[in-house]
Amino acid sequence: MITKHLIGYKSLILFGLLISSCDPLVNEFNDIEEAIMYRANNITEFSAKDTIKVMTWNIRFGVARLRFFGDGCGDRVILKKSEVYEALEDLVEKIEMEDPDILLLQEVDVQSKKTGYIDQAQWLVDHTDFNYGAYASMWESQIILADGLGRVNTGNLILSKWELDNAERYQLPLRGDQDALTKYFYLRRNVLKATVNMPGKPFYAVNTHATAFATDETKQKHLDKFKSILDGIVAEGKNFVAGGDLNEIPPNASKMDYCLDDQCEGESFHEPEEYNHKEGSYFAPEITWLDALYKSYKPAIPLDIYGVYETKHFTHSVDINLTLDRKLDYLWTNTGWFNGATHQEAIKLSDHIPVSAKWVVK
Amino acid sequence: MRKIVKIILLLSCGWSNAQWEGKSATVLPNGRHEIGLFSPFKMGLRNTSEISVNKFLLMPSISYKSEMSQSGEWKRAYRLQFTYPTLAMRWLQSPLGMKLGEPDKFALISPEFTIPHMLSFYGEIIGTKNLPGNGIITLYGGAGFALGTNKLENRATIDLPGFYPRLSVYYNGVVLKSGSEYLYQLGKSWSYIIDYDMFIMPNSDGRYAFEHKGIIVWTKNQKFRILFGYKLFAGEYPFGSQAHLIPMLDLQFGW
Repeated sequence: MITKHLIGYKSLILFGLLISSCDPLVNEFNDIEEAIMYRANNITEFSAKDTIKVMTWNIRFGVARLRFFGDGCGDRVILKKSEVYEALEDLVEKIEMEDPDILLLQEVDVQSKKTGYIDQAQWLVDHTDFNYGAYASMWESQIILADGLGRVNTGNLILSKWELDNAERYQLPLRGDQDALTKYFYLRRNVLKATVNMPGKPFYAVNTHATAFATDETKQKHLDKFKSILDGIVAEGKNFVAGGDLNEIPPNASKMDYCLDDQCEGESFHEPEEYNHKEGSYFAPEITWLDALYKSYKPAIPLDIYGVYETKHFTHSVDINLTLDRKLDYLWTNTGWFNGATHQEAIKLSDHIPVSAKWVVK
Repeated sequence: MRKIVKIILLLSCGWSNAQWEGKSATVLPNGRHEIGLFSPFKMGLRNTSEISVNKFLLMPSISYKSEMSQSGEWKRAYRLQFTYPTLAMRWLQSPLGMKLGEPDKFALISPEFTIPHMLSFYGEIIGTKNLPGNGIITLYGGAGFALGTNKLENRATIDLPGFYPRLSVYYNGVVLKSGSEYLYQLGKSWSYIIDYDMFIMPNSDGRYAFEHKGIIVWTKNQKFRILFGYKLFAGEYPFGSQAHLIPMLDLQFGW
């Protein structure tokens, strides 16, 4: 009788196991894995072009300049859905105005608690002229046990008018300056690469978001890996448009220390020792880390132009500070750009400014 | 005669084991106490009733269960429970007492929200019946209401299995609950329990939650038993549906 009853309930246990969630608490990602693909609800056909417009933009998970606690001096954690939708609508208005053919976005939230569980990737592809998207998460956890953040999924997104193919997520090295527990729950940054299947003229689009706050050589490793992926495309004899938030200032930047500019209330830097710097605000030791990219590839804003019109090409200011003070966002190609522009008029839509340029398809 | 004695012994064993399980309509005998690692402190009172108190002092909760008149083969009882969640929810905003932005805070609710004083009331009717053989089935259903919840921000939910349905009454003002438990006595020391709970959460982003557990119980005597098995959580959360399966272990003591 005992056996009979146990067998009877074995199927129930098995059923339970089958429908259980096998998702890990934190998605640790493989070195290379397929990106998450998106498709608009309504597809509009676009023919091939000789010249396309490419834009990169860190959209700060659609919270505009709200005082989010994580990347500035704010005290907001869980934003209202209405606030996020309003910010997304403003972003879409700017995107439609600029009308890029390829858009490289960073800090896109996909069903994160802090932004009302909106799938921003699907929302953006449905509310713009783009037909396709490829997404690679840089932070995916069922729960972040800090500040009530809860469920988090945020990452890089490539949006395209033409179909995207072979989209791959390349894992970047984790920060080397964190303890094991923090590292487990922390960001896992990536490079996202996809083939844009423009009829008759396919090319690659590459998007990345390098570490902001590492105090060791992690950022250099991220930039090196990004470049090595671009080198691989060139070695194949193919062309690319690439970009993202590199969290690095140009080698000829006039200022390298933002510790006091970024200081929040109650913080103190440069004291008692001069080398007491704020994470992510002191660039002097890493000022040459973009040299290799500048030497090998063409930027949308060339160094000489940047040197002359530096303030016109700043792309970032922290928190609610509306005075832009540094350039962190870049576009690169192995061929050439024209009409490179830094859209500083979009200052209230994110803590980063979009950079766009036109690219002659070869 | 020996067969009759054996049946009586098994039945009595079944009922006595039911003392250990808080979901049945049976109440603890007057003066008996029970406590578990993951179960509340319970004490049998006079007049066929028992009182139960949450051990987690930041979440004061007291429940009173009393037997009602039997209806046919069904033993009946009712249970009333009062819970004051405010202290626990405030503690979950900053368990380590650190300031906003510290990465090791373990906060489950954002410190930006104000947790008001709230009080919930839950009442349920319970029916328990002996089945042919050594089985006992229990059915229960009830409703919960909460006061003082109008100032609680809906974004302050903890969207995790177990937490979400149990705290939903404070975000929505009402919760409906029903469930069933089947206990089967396998011998003198062994038994198993299969149960489920269904939470209906009107006006919530997650509308329902289903919990089921299957546990094997080894009862050494009336002073100690071990329960081990699994618990399945399935339901809707503000981000969609999800299911989780976790192992379960409890050590319970009685005197």
